[in-house]
Amino acid sequence: MSSSKISPELKVGILVLVSIMILFYMSFRIGRLGTFREGGYEITVTFANANGLDRRSPVQIAGVEVGKVKNIALDSYKAMLTLTIKEGVKVPVDSKIIVKAQGLLGDKYIEILPGTEKKFLAQGDRIKDVIPGIDFNEIFTQVNVAAKNFGETMGEFKDILGDKEKTNIKKSIANIESLSGDFRTFMTDNKGNITRVVNNTAVVSEKLSSIAKDIEQGKGTLGLLVKDDKLYNDAKETVTSLKNITKDIEEGKGTLGKFAKDETLYNDTKEAVSNIKEFTDGIKKGEGTLGKLVKDESLYNETEKAMKKIQKGAEGLEEITPVTILGTIFGFLF
Amino acid sequence: MEDTAIRIIDLHKSFGPQKVLDGINLEVETGKITVIIGKSGGGKSVLLKHIIGLLKPDSGEIWVNGNDITKLPEKELNEVRRSFGMLFQEAALFDSMDVFDNVAFPLREHTKLSDREIESVVEERLRQVGLLTFTEKMPSELSGGMRKRVGLARALVLDPDIILFDEPTSALDPIISLSILDLIRETQQRIQKTYVVISHDILGMFRIADKVAMLYGGKIIEYGTPYEIRRSTKEATKEFLKATKIPGFTGGSYEQQQDFP
Amino acid sequence: MFDAVTKKGLTPLLGILKELGNIGIMFLQSIYWTFRRPFKLNYIFKQMEFIGVNSISVVIITGTFTGMVLALQSYYGFRKFGAEGLVGTTVALSMTRELGPVLTSLMVTGRAGSAMAAELGSMRVTEQIDALIVMALNPIKYLVVPRVIASFLMFPVLTSIANFVGIIGGYLVGVKLLGINEGAFINKIIKYLDPEDIYNGLIKAAVFGIIMSVISCYKGFYTRGGAEGVGRSTTEAVVMSSVTILVTDYVLTSLMF
Repeated sequence: MSSSKISPELKVGILVLVSIMILFYMSFRIGRLGTFREGGYEITVTFANANGLDRRSPVQIAGVEVGKVKNIALDSYKAMLTLTIKEGVKVPVDSKIIVKAQGLLGDKYIEILPGTEKKFLAQGDRIKDVIPGIDFNEIFTQVNVAAKNFGETMGEFKDILGDKEKTNIKKSIANIESLSGDFRTFMTDNKGNITRVVNNTAVVSEKLSSIAKDIEQGKGTLGLLVKDDKLYNDAKETVTSLKNITKDIEEGKGTLGKFAKDETLYNDTKEAVSNIKEFTDGIKKGEGTLGKLVKDESLYNETEKAMKKIQKGAEGLEEITPVTILGTIFGFLF
Repeated sequence: MEDTAIRIIDLHKSFGPQKVLDGINLEVETGKITVIIGKSGGGKSVLLKHIIGLLKPDSGEIWVNGNDITKLPEKELNEVRRSFGMLFQEAALFDSMDVFDNVAFPLREHTKLSDREIESVVEERLRQVGLLTFTEKMPSELSGGMRKRVGLARALVLDPDIILFDEPTSALDPIISLSILDLIRETQQRIQKTYVVISHDILGMFRIADKVAMLYGGKIIEYGTPYEIRRSTKEATKEFLKATKIPGFTGGSYEQQQDFP
Repeated sequence: MFDAVTKKGLTPLLGILKELGNIGIMFLQSIYWTFRRPFKLNYIFKQMEFIGVNSISVVIITGTFTGMVLALQSYYGFRKFGAEGLVGTTVALSMTRELGPVLTSLMVTGRAGSAMAAELGSMRVTEQIDALIVMALNPIKYLVVPRVIASFLMFPVLTSIANFVGIIGGYLVGVKLLGINEGAFINKIIKYLDPEDIYNGLIKAAVFGIIMSVISCYKGFYTRGGAEGVGRSTTEAVVMSSVTILVTDYVLTSLMF
């Protein structure tokens, strides 16, 4: 039949041999054969919740796999796990144990945090020091609580603003607005060296901008003000107007006399400036309810704590375990 | 051995509403060439396939070597088949084998002969059909006539008692046809086995037939020697014979030469 | 029994059922004849050569490029998550569990299944199958069984080669071309690819081999209508085998994984 000298039997034989070699190679590379046969010793540990752990889940020390979960059993409504630890790996008796997850969606594994004792665990020993693992559900609950606190605080804040302070602020803003309106009409002619006014205005604007800076940096609870308040925008607008005026004045446009003699205008300005000053100073010193809010350490801390936990979780995200995502991607591709 | 090699009794076969065989009765004599003649599509091939057990009849019996092959289970039927050889219409050589392997195939499958014995048998058979130098050709490299010769060699290789021929001269030119017919005649005279030939080539068949059966309308309407058939008074037979005559042409048929003044 | 209209409506359905039944019968017959002496080893080897050895180039090209395109595609997907290291896992899992067996089977169906149907079909219309029967030889044993056994054995072999070259192709594109961290690529494969993934893929392939060979042989074996019929049988064999392989793939996957 075939003119070549190689018989079909030989060709088929070579092909089969090659494929068997490939199979063996791949099986050996990925195989977890032998982990248990290597021997080792067993230790037990009891968790309140072994959710997500499985037989053959890895046990690690400092990220290095040192064993596997051999068995999971229920022991008086707690999960009792038997871990096989590789021969030659010594675990101090005061070691701590923690269930970790590889990322937000990842597989759970067990991490042993080695203690300092010179005595080591032996076959059948038990690790007692169990650190409750990060439960992402719990974190999300905490975040929820923090967010709720935020909401309540904001409510209070609004109430405060509704009272005296609010009127004050509004009054000052109205004053400044009318002032700047007046300015515009005739200040074009009156730009000169009214240093006092300039200085005062500069002080005001400095203070305003420092508040604005604080707000922009989102320091404390005040950060939320930014989103809500007309106050801030108005203030900022005013500052801009003032700055423009100052600039004009500094450039020496117009005549000084008119402005210097205009008592009402000057008084208005002064009043507005002092109002704002009063308000800012109060906040900075932490006086009054609003001040307290800004300085409220515990609220700040609580928020930061929750944030940190989220961050910690997010760091793990970099190593998201594929199974779920893979599923999505598979669906995607085919 | 008894005189009757194949006895067909009241054989019926229909394909759907179409009655192809409608009560065939025929006795094929041992050691003779029996030609079954009929129109194309008249059921000749169907009859032949019944004789070899490729088709099962609706009713009727076919007796070969004391067995009714229509009732035999496959295993015993295969025993009977071992005494048959068959030359198919287009020789039915195995495309994947060369000429030698084709002829050797039945020997390899059914006998325990050594390779050398097989070789000698095959070479002898191929010499008989005049194709000894073509052993390494593939069937696709052969002409139609050569394929039929190889097919004949293969049909004869196990020394069967009965050899069936399905249209041995179809699709061949007249000269090759004659040589195939002569080969059939010649081998039969040498081995004295029972030959059953079906054909519509009435002129050619009178050259080789010992007995002729006319198949018409699903029945054997006429059975006898070629001489008896030519003298038949039956309308259908006469019509069939007339259809083979070519007006104004005196062909090679001695039947027509006799009629010529 | 049926009135004319119902009968007309049911005819195609009955035809399908009949065909399924005939294919099933052919499958059972080929199992039966597999264990009847004498074993036609040389026939099986010849078919193994045809189905297996002669398909290597097709399978290697298909496998390599599938692995390469998988790496490319999944890379763009994973980059959005910053998880490029998972490209290797995707390639390895997709190849071993799904694409290796299925694409190999489909390619070999196109190559060998069509040839089987055409070969048996032309043997049918030129009465070679009848010739076998007349020689008191069972055509199932001589024609179908070697093809079914050879397919059953060779499909997993070809699939394991496709898996391997597919992962190599993914490695070339992922690590050498797209610059994925080599360690991450390989270790993630080792970490997430189970031996069961490979073995189940090979089992799938063996089943596909049986499906392909039985259907193709059936279509060829019962060819009607001369050369035209052979062409029709060939087409039907490839289409029916491919569709059945894909349907069976779903069933097997849902059972296995």
